[in-house]
Amino acid sequence: MPYVDKLPKSIEMQLTEQPLFHFGSDLMKDGQFGEQWLVLTEKEVSVWGTDGRMVSKFFVSSITDARVVGGVGGGSLLVDTKEGPIILIRYTASLTSIFGYASKLIAAVAKGEERPTASEKEFPRHCPKCRNPLPEDSQTCPVCKSNGKVLFRMLGYAKPYKIQMIAAAIMLIFTTLIELVPPFLTKMIVDNVLTKKDMGSTLLWIVIGLAATSLVVTLMQTVRGLIGVWIGSKIMGDLRHDVYHSLMKLSLSFFDRRQSSQFIGRVNNDSEAMRQFMTDGVIWVSGESLRVIAIFAIMFSMDWKLTLLAMLPMPLMVVLSTVLWPMIGRRWYQQWRSIFRLNALVGDSLQGIRVVKAFGQETTEMSRYTVANKELVRHNIRIEGLWQGMFPAFALVAGVGTLLIWYYGGRTVLDGQLSIGTLIALVTYLGMLLGPLQWVSQMINWASHAISAADRVFEIMDTPSDVPDTTNPADIGRVNGEVEFKQVTYGYEKHHPVLKNVDLKVAAGEMIGLVGHSGAGKSTFINMICRFYDTDEGTITIDGVDIRNISQSDLRSQIGVVLQETFLFDGTIAENIAYSKPDATELEIMRAAKIANAHDFIVQLPDGYDTRVGERGHKLSGGEKQRVSIARAIIHDPRILILDEATASVDTVTERQIQEAISRLVKGRTTFAIAHRLSTLRNANRLVVLERGKIIEVGTHEELLAVEGAYFKLVEAQKEMSQIKGVEVHE
Amino acid sequence: MSDPISVSDELKAQDKDPYEINIFEPGLISFSRSQGGVFQGVIEGKVYEELILFRIFPFQYNTQYISVRNSKSEEIGVIRDIDQLDEESRGEVDKELQLRYFLPVVTRIDSIKQKADMWIWELQTNLGQTRIVMRNLHEHMQYPSLYRIILTDVNGKRCEIRDYSTLDIQSRKKLKDVL
Repeated sequence: MPYVDKLPKSIEMQLTEQPLFHFGSDLMKDGQFGEQWLVLTEKEVSVWGTDGRMVSKFFVSSITDARVVGGVGGGSLLVDTKEGPIILIRYTASLTSIFGYASKLIAAVAKGEERPTASEKEFPRHCPKCRNPLPEDSQTCPVCKSNGKVLFRMLGYAKPYKIQMIAAAIMLIFTTLIELVPPFLTKMIVDNVLTKKDMGSTLLWIVIGLAATSLVVTLMQTVRGLIGVWIGSKIMGDLRHDVYHSLMKLSLSFFDRRQSSQFIGRVNNDSEAMRQFMTDGVIWVSGESLRVIAIFAIMFSMDWKLTLLAMLPMPLMVVLSTVLWPMIGRRWYQQWRSIFRLNALVGDSLQGIRVVKAFGQETTEMSRYTVANKELVRHNIRIEGLWQGMFPAFALVAGVGTLLIWYYGGRTVLDGQLSIGTLIALVTYLGMLLGPLQWVSQMINWASHAISAADRVFEIMDTPSDVPDTTNPADIGRVNGEVEFKQVTYGYEKHHPVLKNVDLKVAAGEMIGLVGHSGAGKSTFINMICRFYDTDEGTITIDGVDIRNISQSDLRSQIGVVLQETFLFDGTIAENIAYSKPDATELEIMRAAKIANAHDFIVQLPDGYDTRVGERGHKLSGGEKQRVSIARAIIHDPRILILDEATASVDTVTERQIQEAISRLVKGRTTFAIAHRLSTLRNANRLVVLERGKIIEVGTHEELLAVEGAYFKLVEAQKEMSQIKGVEVHE
Repeated sequence: MSDPISVSDELKAQDKDPYEINIFEPGLISFSRSQGGVFQGVIEGKVYEELILFRIFPFQYNTQYISVRNSKSEEIGVIRDIDQLDEESRGEVDKELQLRYFLPVVTRIDSIKQKADMWIWELQTNLGQTRIVMRNLHEHMQYPSLYRIILTDVNGKRCEIRDYSTLDIQSRKKLKDVL
């Protein structure tokens, strides 16, 4: 549910009616930041200050219309009255959509029309707690989300590998403890052997002990590392698997709202960040904290006074760590940005190298590069300098503790109250603390990154599909291809329907041409048949069965699609043709290509059917790609065929070849075709003319021309256009 | 609403080259504000109930090259410099531009913090205190000129640092960290 702020009490008390709508804006009428409230009731529209003072009020009966006038970075809501337009309220850009809705609502109330319902997208996406805007692709507030829950869920992924995790943990404890043994042994060498000048077997045994500990530590570290890698890779695999599966199950409308490129990053980077945290992070943190505790315990048992003394600079180190790491992070980001700018610059001028040369602008480009390059050098020095200086600084601070121990410890030794060995052991242990302490704040940073990565990943997994697959699918077998729209209404945003009460019955094997201006709802019509979206109202049936009761895989196996923008996957031409039927024989593939007028050009390619296409492969021309995709549809052998501007982006000769191919393809199949060039729809049994989401005319080409309605106008308009271009019209 | 375009005007419009930019004679235009707060004016002898202003070079010129359009967003002409206008008109044009181009000028930076992948700026502007939240810096900071920075919020709200070299030392220091 979208979050709407409560109307302040002081305003609510003064209202005589229940408000239909209220919303707080973030600007005053004079453009200053401030809060004002818009309240709409059945009879009045009013604007209030937060203190409950009324700013203005209008009777709905005096309003003829309402609208928004968008500015840059903000806008204002206007009502038209008989006395002219009046500005009601102003707002910044973050509230544009909600006040857009408000204007529609006011207009509808004023005109007595059907009132729009607000969709979730129109409400400003603020976190109700901290007022920070939410990221556009997420419902959880990154600033004040509950980290614990996410952490817990993330760790759930480690569950299947419990035994290995426990093994790793035990080894970790052991290695940590064993690593603490050598300084103790050194102490024994100094105290029991060197000081006493006792050359007995003790020295040998202690050295053997030292060798043994380092051997054990090495062994255990290797084994633990191997286990870590194993668990890490497994968890990473599981995560990627889950994310990708959830992505594929999501409906198209989910992707409509988002850039698809960000998902590539999500699937890979976010799961990597999570893995890193779970394996390296968790192990490192627990290992290091264990070590810190153990070291302190040992040091205190040796000499608590000196230990306390050595701890004096510790707070300073933690402070240093919390100051330096964010600084490092920022400088890294700065450096990244200058690399980004430099790369963008190079990419830009190299892509446009023809233009650069044609206009003789090489020197300008070079000097632009020089500036960006200098910038990068500067940032490089800044970050690297800080990086280089950081660890010595930590060492210096830690050194203060060591100095203190040397001085006071040395005096204690001279007084005879402490053995030299203990002193050396204390100094060594102190040195071991340096590592964990200087990384403390960076660990917190990594953890928070991992948690936000996990958050994003879980969000994808938790998003329900808008077009859920039925649990009890009807068995449709091979359909005849009768398609019926019954009172279908649909809008990408619910209050703004793109299709309105569409009724159409299509017989099996019929070819329907969809005609209309852009934005008339043609593509939406087609998307509905594929069930990329579910109807808001009404039903679509295939052979009398509601498509919502057909399993999606069954449905799609009956539908073939040829789109304007053909997409070929990375792979050979043969693989692309056999996309929907991976077990197709070579003969089937060739036949399909032959019908699609593609066989001849494919054979003449150096690599024939094995030519690699797609992003990294051979570049086929638009017409060639189109024919490959037609072959793909032919081998799919669908009962229902959808052609969306299949010939829009090719020249006339190629178009003819594709037209031929298509006319062979549509034979015996129920076909829905969209084409901008009306001449390409000549073969259609019926033409359906859509206007603003409604069917306004249905009939054959001749019938529609005869009535001289909307279709006639479209044809005339196209004739005119062709004449301007000097192209003959094929009628 | 009355339609400002009459037959005689259409004839007049035909005389003009439709591809020529119509730069107004300063004497032939005047602007005011209606009771309802709507910007309006009289242009070349014709009354417009509602006018919309566009900065043609919003980053380069604040008060020069202003496109004046009717409520359907059709261009009537261009004001070369609002200093040429009479006092009342100039005041109203200036005010309308400031309302339409909502771009508060930052007077002080209270803090710039990075919290959970979001950059949160607490700012004092000439229009009051505000907060700008960005997903990242490189896509939400623009540098139209050497010392000028435009900050854009994830929701499209914008603020301007007109000349960061004139900000106070504390603000400059905070800014320097993220530049």
